[in-house]
Amino acid sequence: MNIGYATVVESERLYGETWITWFRAPELARGAYPGQFLMLRCSDDASYGCGSRAGARADDPLLPRPMSYHRLRDGAGGAEWCLLYDVVGRGTAWLAGRRPGDRVYAWGPLGRGYEVGHASHNLLLVAGGIGVAPLVWLADDAVSRGLNVTMVIGGRSAAQIFPSALLPKEVEVVVTTDDGSSGRAGFVTEPFGELLEWCDQAFACGPNAMFAAMAAVARKARVRRSVQVLLEERMGCGTGICYGCAVEVRLRGGRTMKLVCKDGPRFDVRDVW
Amino acid sequence: MPSPSADALQLSVELASGKHSLVLANPVMAASGTFSYGVEYAKVFDIQRLGAIVSKTTTLRPHAGSPPGRRIDETPAGMLNSIGLQNIGIDKLLRDLAPAWSRWRVPVVVSILGAAVDEYGACAARLEGVAGIAGLELNISSPNARRGGMEFGQDAATAAAVTASVVRACTLPVIVKLTPNVGDIAAIARAVVDAGADALCVVNTLQAMSIDARARRPNITRTFAGLSGPAIKPVALRMVWQVASAVSVPIIGCGGIVDGIDAVEFLLAGATAVQVGTATFRNPRAPLDVLEGIEAYMRAEGVADVRELVGAARA
Ligand SMILES: Cc1cc2nc3c(=O)[nH]c(=O)nc-3n(C[C@H](O)[C@H](O)[C@H](O)COP(=O)(O)OP(=O)(O)OC[C@H]3O[C@@H](n4cnc5c(N)ncnc54)[C@H](O)[C@@H]3O)c2cc1C
Ligand SMILES: Cc1cc2nc3c(=O)[nH]c(=O)nc-3n(C[C@H](O)[C@H](O)[C@H](O)COP(=O)(O)O)c2cc1C
Ligand code: FES
Repeated sequence: MNIGYATVVESERLYGETWITWFRAPELARGAYPGQFLMLRCSDDASYGCGSRAGARADDPLLPRPMSYHRLRDGAGGAEWCLLYDVVGRGTAWLAGRRPGDRVYAWGPLGRGYEVGHASHNLLLVAGGIGVAPLVWLADDAVSRGLNVTMVIGGRSAAQIFPSALLPKEVEVVVTTDDGSSGRAGFVTEPFGELLEWCDQAFACGPNAMFAAMAAVARKARVRRSVQVLLEERMGCGTGICYGCAVEVRLRGGRTMKLVCKDGPRFDVRDVW
Repeated sequence: MPSPSADALQLSVELASGKHSLVLANPVMAASGTFSYGVEYAKVFDIQRLGAIVSKTTTLRPHAGSPPGRRIDETPAGMLNSIGLQNIGIDKLLRDLAPAWSRWRVPVVVSILGAAVDEYGACAARLEGVAGIAGLELNISSPNARRGGMEFGQDAATAAAVTASVVRACTLPVIVKLTPNVGDIAAIARAVVDAGADALCVVNTLQAMSIDARARRPNITRTFAGLSGPAIKPVALRMVWQVASAVSVPIIGCGGIVDGIDAVEFLLAGATAVQVGTATFRNPRAPLDVLEGIEAYMRAEGVADVRELVGAARA
């Protein structure tokens, strides 16, 4: 983990209410891999601790926000990384208001991301809503290593669907919407069930209800496949310090408390649901 | 005005003297529960420059904390937590952490809590004579403990009994951390000082809650939680002032400190040192930034010795 200021390189509304913001701060992505995240302080303040209070000091919103790495690229000044996010409250609205040249205080990489097994060739990626954010990098990475990727992207309606044109062309895409305004009408669990046998491993990110439905499908399936999910929980620190993000998981028969930020956010769906 | 250079600044403060002395290189400590056991951030920045680190509150046996559900929430300039004292237990602390601490320059104070009065003494006895442990902080103030914690700190006689049980059981310097959830904090302060406390930490979190208007229920699964952060600073400052009027042992100010100026305000109210808690979530380096802020203030104001600030607003 490194701490520092990331400089906004570009930022735009990509589709619907979903924003993409690119940052330069190579040290904040050093050693990162898909499924990991950063913490970002989402308010205007001059750096803390100074003897004078000449700069603005915002104590609100107080807590930093967790965000997954969405993609990496080589920029003019070194590696750049970006976030893909929905504007749902004060923190994300503040983020969407940043302009090129603005700086955001952040720390990362944090947590344990997706683990692709050495013997896995066919990867099934399942995205619900903004859960697509970390999966795009996983897809980029898998394709560059010659793996087969099928991605199921689901949302309430067409406005919530990540544009397929922005994915590597090798990725097989299946779209589902609740209202049928794009792709198949229905939930991601249906194509997930159909494709489970094809894949060696599945990776998902989305709301808890989607994970619960996927766990039910996986349990009924004829084949047993590892299904890795990224959990979300309210976070204080993001670094395993505050114990605020504890979730109960099943391990070796017993139930134990794990920290989403440090032991996760990646868990096996069967350990949680 | 004279402008002392950085190395000419006198920053050292004493929290306990005599056979169990506790001298800090500077007045800035990392608070309990917001710095875990120190090892996590040791890799990230130079924690050895801090005055001291207080460990997460640790109990005789490991504790899983609050049941599954929502443990934290954000409030205006503050946060709520109901962690429920999840911790690794004293055995693991002695085995895995104390050896590392013994190689550190920064002193580590272990925060302890018992479900019964005698359990505090039992914890203290286990920590006595262990290399790497510079002192104890008695948590008689957490609103999240099912037993022990705040309920002991709300009653002067029980608070004194807890303190006495620890003072009997060990020779370590003893800091007692008080709860703001009382009518007369000065009375509690006097009782624990009479029972042998070397220093007091003022204060722990304020008991509070938040409600989700849409869902029509409390946000935190256990309903009540502890409020911390800048929102509580004025309350903490008032209590430091009151305690400083009541006792003469060193006081550690805690509550909402985010920058050097906040810390100086606590010193002026009568605190000898400060603890930085919630600010660490916003900025992992916060305790170090607070220290640098105090130094900048001293240079700008021509203060050579940080002890000149202690209680200076009370004249
Ligand atoms: C490991 C991790 C990675 C994440 N990655 C992304 C990402 O790549 N893109 C993205 O858009 N979002 C992501 N999130 C969710 C994101 O952190 C929240 O949407 C964000 O914190 C909301 O902040 P806000 O101030 O805008 O909203 P607030 O005003 O705080 O709340 C608005 C809404 O957001 C929900 N919310 C608030 N905090 C969280 C949280 N920590 N987790 C889940 N929901 C929350 C609240 O329930 C509420 O409904 C991630 C969360 C975690 C834990
Ligand atoms: C998440 C969290 C966990 C805490 N855990 C403890 C604890 O284990 N023991 C303790 O004495 N205080 C604990 N505290 C209280 C802090 O040490 C501090 O007294 C309080 O938060 C007020 O200071 P602040 O506003 O700087 O955070 C905790 C606070 C928070 C926010
Ligand atoms: S967010 Fe603090 S321990 Fe996970």
